[in-house]
Amino acid sequence: MPVLDIRNLTLWYRTRKGPVHAVDDISFSLEPGQTIAIVGESGCGKTSTANAVLRLLPKNVARYEGKVIFDGQDVMDLGNEEFRRSVRWRGISMVFQGAMNALNPAVRVGYQVAEPLMVHYEVDRDEAADQAMEALRKVGLPEDLVRRYPHELSGGMKQRVVIAMALILKPKVVILDEPTSALDVMTQTNIINLLKDLKASDRLSYIFITHDLGLASELADLVGIMYAGQLVELGPSEGVFVRPKHPYTGKLLASVPRLRSEAAPEFIPGAPPDLTAPPSGCRFHLRCPVAFEMCGWSADEFVEQMEAIRQTEGSKIPPISSMSVKSPTHLVIRPGENGTAADFAKALGSFSNENKEKYRFLKAIESVEPRTKSVEVKLFESSPPPYIGDDWRASCWLLKEGGS
Amino acid sequence: MVETENLTKWFDVSLGLFRGSIPLKAVDGVSLTIQRSQTVAIVGESGSGKTTLGRTVIRLLEPTGGRLAYNGTDITHRPEKELMWLRRKAQMIPQDPYSSVNPAFPVFRILEEPLVIHKQGEAKDREEAVFKALQAVKLNPPRFFANKYPHMLSGGQRQRVAIARALMLNPEFILADEPVSMLDASVRISILRLLRQIQNEFGIAFLYITHDLATAKHFANRIGIMYAGRLVEEGPVERVLGEPLHPYTQALMGAIPDPDPANRLVVRQGLPGEPPNLVSLPTGCHFHPRCPIAQPGLCDVQDPELRELRPGHRVACHLAK
Repeated sequence: MPVLDIRNLTLWYRTRKGPVHAVDDISFSLEPGQTIAIVGESGCGKTSTANAVLRLLPKNVARYEGKVIFDGQDVMDLGNEEFRRSVRWRGISMVFQGAMNALNPAVRVGYQVAEPLMVHYEVDRDEAADQAMEALRKVGLPEDLVRRYPHELSGGMKQRVVIAMALILKPKVVILDEPTSALDVMTQTNIINLLKDLKASDRLSYIFITHDLGLASELADLVGIMYAGQLVELGPSEGVFVRPKHPYTGKLLASVPRLRSEAAPEFIPGAPPDLTAPPSGCRFHLRCPVAFEMCGWSADEFVEQMEAIRQTEGSKIPPISSMSVKSPTHLVIRPGENGTAADFAKALGSFSNENKEKYRFLKAIESVEPRTKSVEVKLFESSPPPYIGDDWRASCWLLKEGGS
Repeated sequence: MVETENLTKWFDVSLGLFRGSIPLKAVDGVSLTIQRSQTVAIVGESGSGKTTLGRTVIRLLEPTGGRLAYNGTDITHRPEKELMWLRRKAQMIPQDPYSSVNPAFPVFRILEEPLVIHKQGEAKDREEAVFKALQAVKLNPPRFFANKYPHMLSGGQRQRVAIARALMLNPEFILADEPVSMLDASVRISILRLLRQIQNEFGIAFLYITHDLATAKHFANRIGIMYAGRLVEEGPVERVLGEPLHPYTQALMGAIPDPDPANRLVVRQGLPGEPPNLVSLPTGCHFHPRCPIAQPGLCDVQDPELRELRPGHRVACHLAK
């Protein structure tokens, strides 16, 4: 039985520009002792996913739904107080990003490590001190550290203290949010080795959030690739790291500068989309190297891309006086001076035939019809790609059922 | 183009009123040569002195000892007033694109300012130079970006502005101190590629300071590994990373994972302890307390010299062969 089963988890934030789709319909499950790495660029919803699992929500939540089944029980039904008492930290704990710099400088380390115990179990001081020492020993720190203050410790030691705090109530699942991002490489190695040890000795399950694919492969049994609030690929690390199914995963892997390979790293053109208005269809289509007809091009995007390539291609594109959007799949272009609609339609058709591998949005053209003074362009209809696969799934229109 | 010989930069750390001070040896005897249109990467952990080395090389700091020469001219102790020419020829790309550009200036003014300060050209020439620089860093169309304020740009675009500013005075040498560490992984590569293009186009030499061995591998010609204020290994990238001779370089390389599902099944070799405190350095080789192969009686007594063990590849280790 999985220790954690997340189904259709959704978390939107309310802003003046409209709801931010930070986490959009995410599902995964974790067996005891299993680690899932959640990888993606900044702003794609990794930390929001963690907050949604632990129900650490800001005031401006617009939508929070789905199932979080922990140890067989759907904890979404619990009241906030009940959730805090029985799930948060006791069942699922977290090492927050940069937490080592949030230790209280005026309080001895031992007390800070023991605090969850005193809050949750009301144990007495001596018992708490004993357990704090035990927790420190477990993360490879000397026991006498309980009487020290945070400023006396190095970065690596502080990070171990924060891990001890997350482990003190003996949770089954620990969420690690960029647990080594502020540390030097050598210290990072030591922390990762500690996490590997704990995973093996205590059968801990981790949700490991990172933007670093190399680091992800140090702990991950499962890899979830996040893009624009969605899990676009989820599968065993033997598969995802070696033969990625989703084009985004492929691009992400190709962008890693490797120490043991001469392959020059490539960058992913463009930037992640604005999550208040995520692109239709597949959210990655604007940056995708293999996007085609039905990936989700809208008429607005078509106009935007057309304007952009008019800057670079200039004279190769027939002159345009205006473009107006009629519906998401329908726009009207008025040719520039001296151009008839029929000539324009022909020129646009041949330009798009020649360039649609280079400018993939041109593939979205379903038909170009000349009218008296203008040209009507119809685009292909699109919808979000379905998940394909069971144990290893990805959402991309180019994947076929059963194959890759 | 840039040559340092036994360059040192010590800071005084006060021990309290009347108790005097002791030196903090941030850079302790570094000899390095940077050739025209070449990128030299300096890699080290935090506190290894790499940033201080960079700042000393472009004379933002005055060296405590040793010699620093730029195109054959000794500038070790030149007074600031006589360094205006160096301020044009040597530029810097800072780490943090959020705090290094004036938020109250539009991009145009940020880029024009170096020209105004150095009294270069008329208003019209300056405008042309600004647009040219924006084009060089691929902020197209230049007129569109010239009117933007920094808060309207993404991190990658701001860093492009910082690069454009460094290009305004046609420099020969650019110090890039962790230019991409604040950026997202996918943007990093595009900025490093841009630096490479600029180097090819304008023949600029780079000193690339980083903690990231993997980007250094792909974007530098030579690499120097720093530990506790000293250069422990230096040479062409292919040689140093192909056959690392210093145990610290070997440990550093062993600590960096490439994406590989087999990684989770093995324990990575770490190093015991922490880098030393720069006010009380270990005797002999600074690395000996953490070194897996240190020999008592040798490594803890004698300072290892940087020796050329392979053509162009220098190592500071008694035991390297």
